[in-house]
Amino acid sequence: MNHIAGSLEQYSTLIWHWPIAVYLFLAGLSAGAAMTSLMVKWIEGNNKAPWDGLIKAGALLAPLTICLGLFLLIFDLTRPLHFWKLLIHYNFSSVMTLGVLGLFIYTPLSFIYAAIKFKPWLFETGPFAGLLKPFKGIIDSIGDNPAWLERTLFLFAVIIGIYTGFLLSAMYSYPLFNTPLLPILFLASGLSSGVAASILFGLLFFKSEVNQKNAKYLLELDLRVVPMELLLLFALFVGMYFQGGDKTLVAIQALTTGVWAYVFWVGVIGIGIATPLLIAVTALKHHAYRVGYILLNSVVVLVGVVFLRLYILYAGQTFIG
Amino acid sequence: MAKKYAMIHDSNLCIGCQACNVACRSENQLPESVYRLQVWIKPEEYPNGTLGYEYHRQSCVHCENTPCVNVCPTHASFKNEDGIVLVDVDLCVGCLYCVAACPYQARYVDPVTKAPNKCTFCYESRLSRGEEPACVTVCPTEALVFGDLNDPQSKINTVLSERVTYQQKERLGTNPKMFIVPNHKGGIKS
Repeated sequence: MNHIAGSLEQYSTLIWHWPIAVYLFLAGLSAGAAMTSLMVKWIEGNNKAPWDGLIKAGALLAPLTICLGLFLLIFDLTRPLHFWKLLIHYNFSSVMTLGVLGLFIYTPLSFIYAAIKFKPWLFETGPFAGLLKPFKGIIDSIGDNPAWLERTLFLFAVIIGIYTGFLLSAMYSYPLFNTPLLPILFLASGLSSGVAASILFGLLFFKSEVNQKNAKYLLELDLRVVPMELLLLFALFVGMYFQGGDKTLVAIQALTTGVWAYVFWVGVIGIGIATPLLIAVTALKHHAYRVGYILLNSVVVLVGVVFLRLYILYAGQTFIG
Repeated sequence: MAKKYAMIHDSNLCIGCQACNVACRSENQLPESVYRLQVWIKPEEYPNGTLGYEYHRQSCVHCENTPCVNVCPTHASFKNEDGIVLVDVDLCVGCLYCVAACPYQARYVDPVTKAPNKCTFCYESRLSRGEEPACVTVCPTEALVFGDLNDPQSKINTVLSERVTYQQKERLGTNPKMFIVPNHKGGIKS
């Protein structure tokens, strides 16, 4: 390239950096944790206090991780002080606007759901009991089993999980983003990270309140979701390969070129998918309940999902055909 | 009747002199590090072994179906009534979704406002005074033609009727209002 035209720096296609990948991870994890908590709670016999440690872990993770992710997102804007304009100006053809509207419903619901699960701590024993007293009446009036709230929360958790994929797939400037499978892949990996984080968090902080039966239920669920991710990744790349032109080229480059190919094979496939499957068929065979391995399993699943978000975001913007 | 502004870049007449690039920087008082317009020069070897140059105008192509406007969550990116794609800096939060979604890499982040910006066809300055964009006025070989597609008598419609043109990345369905007269030699790489 002849540089008589001037600096080419602004023409880099790498626009979104790691905070976006971490946000995509946290939003998926939040949605997955909300779904996990609800699925355990909906098991017969789990619908009353004292709540199972896993229900509490998921209920707590959902609002915390989405808030953390949103803070990260706001500070990653180039004009963070203007972020409030996102809240009052809408463009219904923009996935980002649809995400904002989804979060308007999802975030408060996740807080209310968590408040129901931590009622005694919030309003009686915790350090903020005095401050929060006025809200006790509202939470009490909702009751312990608000079917409408739980179903709406579950629906919006699915919407949040899937929107993070559409956010990227809406851009046809990047072939790796612009595939119909990406939102489903993000939903599946978000669910698996939510399950893993709930198990990890539950066993670390609410261990005495975790019922083995529920932990086994979640481990089995994860053992179904992780192979599904593998299948989705397989179908995504093979599908791109068969599309021809740029898409074929990008599929090959993304799996074979440079540091991002290593991240995919070692981080996403090796750590995130092969290791948990290996643990499942060896250390946790016949649903053995070995806490050390269960924690290890959760950690590798989480690390794998972080790698998946980083890989998709960076490889997607690096290889454009 | 609303106008529908468009431009032609004739890569046979272009000599890659960058007068357009410089005029644009001067007219729009662009900061040191960013460009609304560059002409990329690429040496080519034709099948019979002769050598030549390809000239590519790198700037906003003012799509009719605008990926950047579609993804913008606040309508900061918009297409005005004359078909020109502009940025309302006041509405922009700096998410850079438009920069990423543009298949033509037409946008840069202004180092002062921190908001994306781009070629405006000199809408707010020269067009409002009835003049043509700076790049068109300054081009020494008349490789650039500017005008209103809605006016059958306009110069651009005359040229579009007389010369072969194509639009970049036509397959994306963006329908750019930047028409390229391809090099008479070699192949077309859209």
